[in-house]
Amino acid sequence: MQFRVTLILLAACSCQSVMANEPELWSLRAPKRHTPPSTATLAHSKRVKNEIDQFVLHGLQEAKLEPAPQASRLTLVRRAYFDLIGLPPSPQQVDAFLNDKSSNAWQKLIDSLLNSKHYGERWGRHWLDVARYADSGGYETDIYFRNAWRYRDYVVKSFNDDKPYNIFVQEQIAGDELWPDNLDLDPRRVYIVPKEKLRHFEARVATGFYALGPRVHESALDAKRLSYETMTDWADTTASAFMGLTLGCARCHEHKFDPFTQEDYFALHAIFASAKELEVPMWNSMGEADWRQAYPRVLAVQEARKEYQLFAAKTAGRKLTPEEEKHKQQLLANIGQAVLKLPERTGGPTGTIPYDGLMHIPTVSVLGRSHPSQIKPIHLLNRGELHKPGQRVEAALPVSLAKATGTSAKLTDPFEARKQLALWLTRKDHPLTARVMVNRIWHWHFGRGIVETPNDFGNMGQSPSHPVLLDWLAIRFVEDGWSVKKLHRLIMASSVYRQSSQFGSPRHLAEDPDNRLLWRMNRRRLEAEALWDSVHSVSGTINLEMGGPPVVPPLAEDEIASLRQKWHWVVSADPKQHTRRGLYILVRRNFKFPMFEVFDTPVTAVSCPVRDVTTVAPQALWGLNSKSVFGQSMHFAGRVFKEAGKDQKKQVEQAWRLALGRPPTAAESARALRVLRQLEESSAALNEAPSSLSSIDASQAQAMSKLCLLLFNLSEFAFID
Amino acid sequence: MQPFSSRRDFLFNGGLGFGALALGDLLNRQADASETAKPLAARPSHVVGTAKNVIFLFMQGGPSHLETFDEKPMLRKYDGQLLPESLRDFDLAQINTADAQVMAPQFAFNKHGQSGVEISDMFPYLSKHADKLAIIRSMHHELFIHGSAMIMVHSGTSLLGHPSIGAWVSYGLGCESDNLPAYIAMTDSIFRNGASMYTSGFLPAIYQGTDMHAEGVPIQNLKRNANLSQSDQRFLLDQLREMNELHLKTRPGDSRLNARIANYELAYRMQSAAPELIDLSKETQATHDLYGIGNGAADRFGKMCLMARRMVERGVRYVQLISGGWDAHGDCKGNHQSQASKTDQPIAGLIADLEQRGLLESTLLVWVGEFGRTPIRQGSNGRDHHPYGFSSWMAGGGIVGGKTIGATDDFGFAAIEDKVHVNDLHATMLGLLGIDHEELTYHFEGRDRRLTDVGGENNLAARLVRA
Repeated sequence: MQFRVTLILLAACSCQSVMANEPELWSLRAPKRHTPPSTATLAHSKRVKNEIDQFVLHGLQEAKLEPAPQASRLTLVRRAYFDLIGLPPSPQQVDAFLNDKSSNAWQKLIDSLLNSKHYGERWGRHWLDVARYADSGGYETDIYFRNAWRYRDYVVKSFNDDKPYNIFVQEQIAGDELWPDNLDLDPRRVYIVPKEKLRHFEARVATGFYALGPRVHESALDAKRLSYETMTDWADTTASAFMGLTLGCARCHEHKFDPFTQEDYFALHAIFASAKELEVPMWNSMGEADWRQAYPRVLAVQEARKEYQLFAAKTAGRKLTPEEEKHKQQLLANIGQAVLKLPERTGGPTGTIPYDGLMHIPTVSVLGRSHPSQIKPIHLLNRGELHKPGQRVEAALPVSLAKATGTSAKLTDPFEARKQLALWLTRKDHPLTARVMVNRIWHWHFGRGIVETPNDFGNMGQSPSHPVLLDWLAIRFVEDGWSVKKLHRLIMASSVYRQSSQFGSPRHLAEDPDNRLLWRMNRRRLEAEALWDSVHSVSGTINLEMGGPPVVPPLAEDEIASLRQKWHWVVSADPKQHTRRGLYILVRRNFKFPMFEVFDTPVTAVSCPVRDVTTVAPQALWGLNSKSVFGQSMHFAGRVFKEAGKDQKKQVEQAWRLALGRPPTAAESARALRVLRQLEESSAALNEAPSSLSSIDASQAQAMSKLCLLLFNLSEFAFID
Repeated sequence: MQPFSSRRDFLFNGGLGFGALALGDLLNRQADASETAKPLAARPSHVVGTAKNVIFLFMQGGPSHLETFDEKPMLRKYDGQLLPESLRDFDLAQINTADAQVMAPQFAFNKHGQSGVEISDMFPYLSKHADKLAIIRSMHHELFIHGSAMIMVHSGTSLLGHPSIGAWVSYGLGCESDNLPAYIAMTDSIFRNGASMYTSGFLPAIYQGTDMHAEGVPIQNLKRNANLSQSDQRFLLDQLREMNELHLKTRPGDSRLNARIANYELAYRMQSAAPELIDLSKETQATHDLYGIGNGAADRFGKMCLMARRMVERGVRYVQLISGGWDAHGDCKGNHQSQASKTDQPIAGLIADLEQRGLLESTLLVWVGEFGRTPIRQGSNGRDHHPYGFSSWMAGGGIVGGKTIGATDDFGFAAIEDKVHVNDLHATMLGLLGIDHEELTYHFEGRDRRLTDVGGENNLAARLVRA
C-alpha cells in the first residue's frame, strides 16, 4: 500500500543529483535552489497561491491524487486562531472574519494573529518542547529551578519580536560569549534594539537553555557523574535542538548509521567543557544598594521566628496558661508583621523587579565561562562508562559536518568554543540549521514535518516527503532574514494549508493513508495547554496576563495524592492565577500537572520534537469528572445566561457559538433543548456555583451547567478540522 | 471499532484496556506493513514464556543483602576491623573506605526448606516458602545514589526519560482487562522518584503505569462529580456518544475519533471496576489473616499485596508494589526489623494465596531494592548505599525454586560469580514472560531502543525454570 508513495519519494530524491565529493547523507548536502514546477503543467493551476502549492500539487499530480477542496471560512478561522495563538476565536472574531468580504481578508487575519502577543505564547511553547523546558531537576528530590521561567519568557518574547532565527540560535548557545562586545559579528546582521544593555542581557538569559536540564540533587556526592550527565544533556540537546541530529547514541558506541564518530561526540562535550552554570543577579548597583539598605527587615523576621522558637522550647510538653497562650499568639503575629514589612520589589535594569520570595535576590541562571585553569579535560569513554576513560578529546565540530560546510573541524580558539559553534551553525550555507527549523515550523502547522523526525535528520530518521520543497523553504527562510513570521505567512497563504481535513476517497486512503503527500489538511487534537486554554477561554475565566514565575493551580485530593512532597506544589494564593494560560503552569519533572500528564505534554528529560497524541480513558475521566472542568462548565453556563438573556433557544445558540465557533444546526438545537428539559427535572442546587449563577433559577442553572459540560466533552471541541 | 489505519494509530489509540493485543500482533502488523519485521521463529532458548503477569515488589531505599539473603561469616570474623586494602577502591556515597570498619551481619541465618536455602531470621514467614524462591546474590550496577539507582532498577539506565519495565511489558503483551489499566503501581509511602518510577518514557503514554491509591479514590478523577447524579451522568454520556458519532460520521476514517468515543465508555466502566478492585470487604477473614491485614505493622502492605492478587485475577499485566523506608543509614538492625514486620507476612501471604488459587505458576514475583548496603559500618550501626553487589529474589511464573544464583566476594562487597546486572534481571523477567529482550524494541531518537540497551547477556530465564 505504501509502495507507490515510496516510489514517488525516491523519484523526487533522485532529482537532486549527487555531485562528487558531496556527503552521502542528504541532510548534509547544502540545500539546492530549485525552480518550482511550472503552474502551467498543473491540472489545479487555479489553486496555486504560491510556490508551496506548485511543489505540493505537482507531487499529488504525479501520484494521481486529487487535492482536497478548500476548507470553509468557518473552519479556516478556527484553524488559524488555534494554530497561531492557541486560543479559540470569540463569536465576534468569527463574525468579523466571515463578514470580511475583501480579497485579502485571510491575509489580514493572519497578520493580526501574528501581531497578537499571544502568538509568542503559542509558538514559544512549541520551542519549549524542543528545549526540554522544566522548572525543576527531576530524579529523587526534584530540585526547584527558581528562575527557569526567565528563559521561558525570553522564548515568548523572541517569537513575538520575530527575532531572526540565526540570532535566536546564537543567543542560546553563546549569548554570553557573543554579546558583550559584538566584535565578531557582521554589523549588518546584528539584531538592533535601542537599549544595548538590555539586549546584551537578553542574550545572556537565552543561555538559560542550558541551565534547565535534568539534574540529580544527590550528585554532589558523585561529582564526576554530575559533570558527565550535565555535559551529556548539553551536547545531546544542542545536537537535537539546533542540528536536528540525535547524537546521544554515540556516547556509548560509534553511531552505527550516521557518519558521526564517538570522537565527534566527545568533541562536542569538549566544546561545553569550558562552560559553567552561573546565577546572575537581575539588577544594577542601585538595586544592590536598596537590598542592602533593607536587609535588616530580613533580620527582623529571623529574630521574630527565633523568639517564638525559644518560647516554644521553653513551654514544650505542657499545657499553656491563658497568659502564655496570649503571648504565643503575639509572638506568631510578630513573625507575620515582620514578614509583611519586607519590601517586595527593587529597582533593576528593566524598571522595578520583584524579589523572589522573601527578599531573595532576583537572579537568572545562565552560562558563563570557567577560568582556563579549571577546565577539565574531556576523554573519550568506551561504552560511555565513566571509569574507563580513553584518549583525550579536544573541542571540535563534527568532522563530516564541518567538511560539508568546507570548514575545518578544529576550533581556532578553545576558550570561545561555543561562540564558534554558534557562528558555524548559523552560517547561511549550513546544511542543517535552516532546514531543521523550517521543518519544525512545518510540523507545528501541519501536525507532521516534511521530515517526520524533526530531531533526526540522520540516516535513522525519515527521509523527507518533499525534499525539493524543503530545500526551497530553507533557502527562502534564510533569504527572508531567518524570519519565522514571514515563513508563517508563506505557509498559511498557500492553498495547501487551506485544504479541508474531511476529504478522502478509498483511493487516497489506500495510496497514502498517512497523508504524506498532503492531499488534505491533517485534523488535530488540541494539545494539553490549548485544551486548558480553550476551556477557560470559553467559560470566560481565562486570565491572559503574560510572563512571570510559574503559576500553581490547586489540585483535587486524588490528583495530589501521587506527589511525594506535598509542599512541592505551592498553590498560588490569588485565584486569578489559577486560570492563567497553560504555558505558565509549573512544570515539575517529577510531577506533571495531572491534566497535562493525561494529555501528553512532553517528558522533559530530553528534547521533544513531536508530541504524542494518545487517546486514553483518563482523558475522558478528566472531562467527565474533574472538579476543574465542572467548575468551568458552571462559569460557562453563567456566561451563557448573561450574554443570551432568558430565551432558551438563544442560550443554546450562544453556548454553541462560544464552544464551537458556530451556531447549532436545527437538529442540534432541538436536541439541546430536549437535554435541558430532561436535566431540569432535577432541582438539586449546584455545589460551589459561581456568583454568575446566583440569580439564576437553581434548576436551570444546573441543567445549563451540565449541557456546557457536554459541550466541553465533544470531539468537535477537542479536534480542529 | 474499525481497524486502525496504521501501526502508529494502533499504538496510540488503545485506551487503557486494549484487549488481547499482544506482541505477536504487533510484530505481525509490522510484517504486514513491510516494516522491518523481526522473525518470530527461531527464538533463542532463554525465551521460556512461563509467566503471564508480574508483581514487582520494590523495596525502596535499598535493603541490605547482608541482613537478608547473603550470609557472610567473614564479616562476623572481622567485625570492627578496618576493611582489607584490596576492597578500598570503591566509591561510596557517604563513607570514606580508608577508615571504614567492617560490620557483622545483624541477623542470624538458617537453612530452610528441602533445598536448604539460607535466609536470615528477619523473614520468618518468607522462609517457609524457601523452596519456591530463586535467590540472586550477584546483583550489581554502579550507581550509589537513590535517584539514579531507582531509575536504573526500573528503566535499565541511569538517565531520565526511559520507560520503566512495566511499561515495556504492557507494550509487549498488552492488557487482558477491559476495565482496568495494564500496569498499576501502588506504594505504601511515596514514589520517591515521582512518576519516573512508572513512566512510559519514550513509549506512547498508553503504557504509563497508573498510580492507584489503596484508599479513597483509587484513580484520579474516577469519582463522579458531586454535582452530577448517576442517572445524569449516564444520560449525558448517551447524548455525548450520539453527538460524537454524528461528528464522526462526517469525518470517516479517523480512528482517533472512534477511540475517543470508546474511551468514554471505558471510563464509565472503570468508575465501578477500580473501586471494586480495592474493596477487600468480600475477601474472607482467613484471607485477611493470611496477608497480615489487621495485624499492626503488616496491615498496610498486606492490603496492597491482596489487591495485587485481585489485580492479577482481573487481568492486570504488571503490578508494582513499593515498600518505602529501607534506607538504613542509622540503625540497620532496627530499621530492617521494622521493615520486615511490615512486609514479611504480606509477601509470604501473597505467595501462599497465589499458589492456592493456581495463579503462582503464571505470576512472576520479583523482590528487589535499588541497591544493597555496605559491608562496612556507617555511624554506630548503620550501613551506606551499595550497588556493587546485592541480592534479589524471584518466585512463581514457572520458576523452579530453592535455588541461589551467583555470589559476592567474602566480604559481600562485589558480585564476583555469575554476575547479574539490572539489565540481566530485566532480560530474565522478559524471558519468563516469553519476550526476547533483544526483540522488544521501540524506535526513538534514531535507534531501536531496548529495555536492556546493550546488556542482558546473562539471561537466567532458562535456568530458573529447570529443576
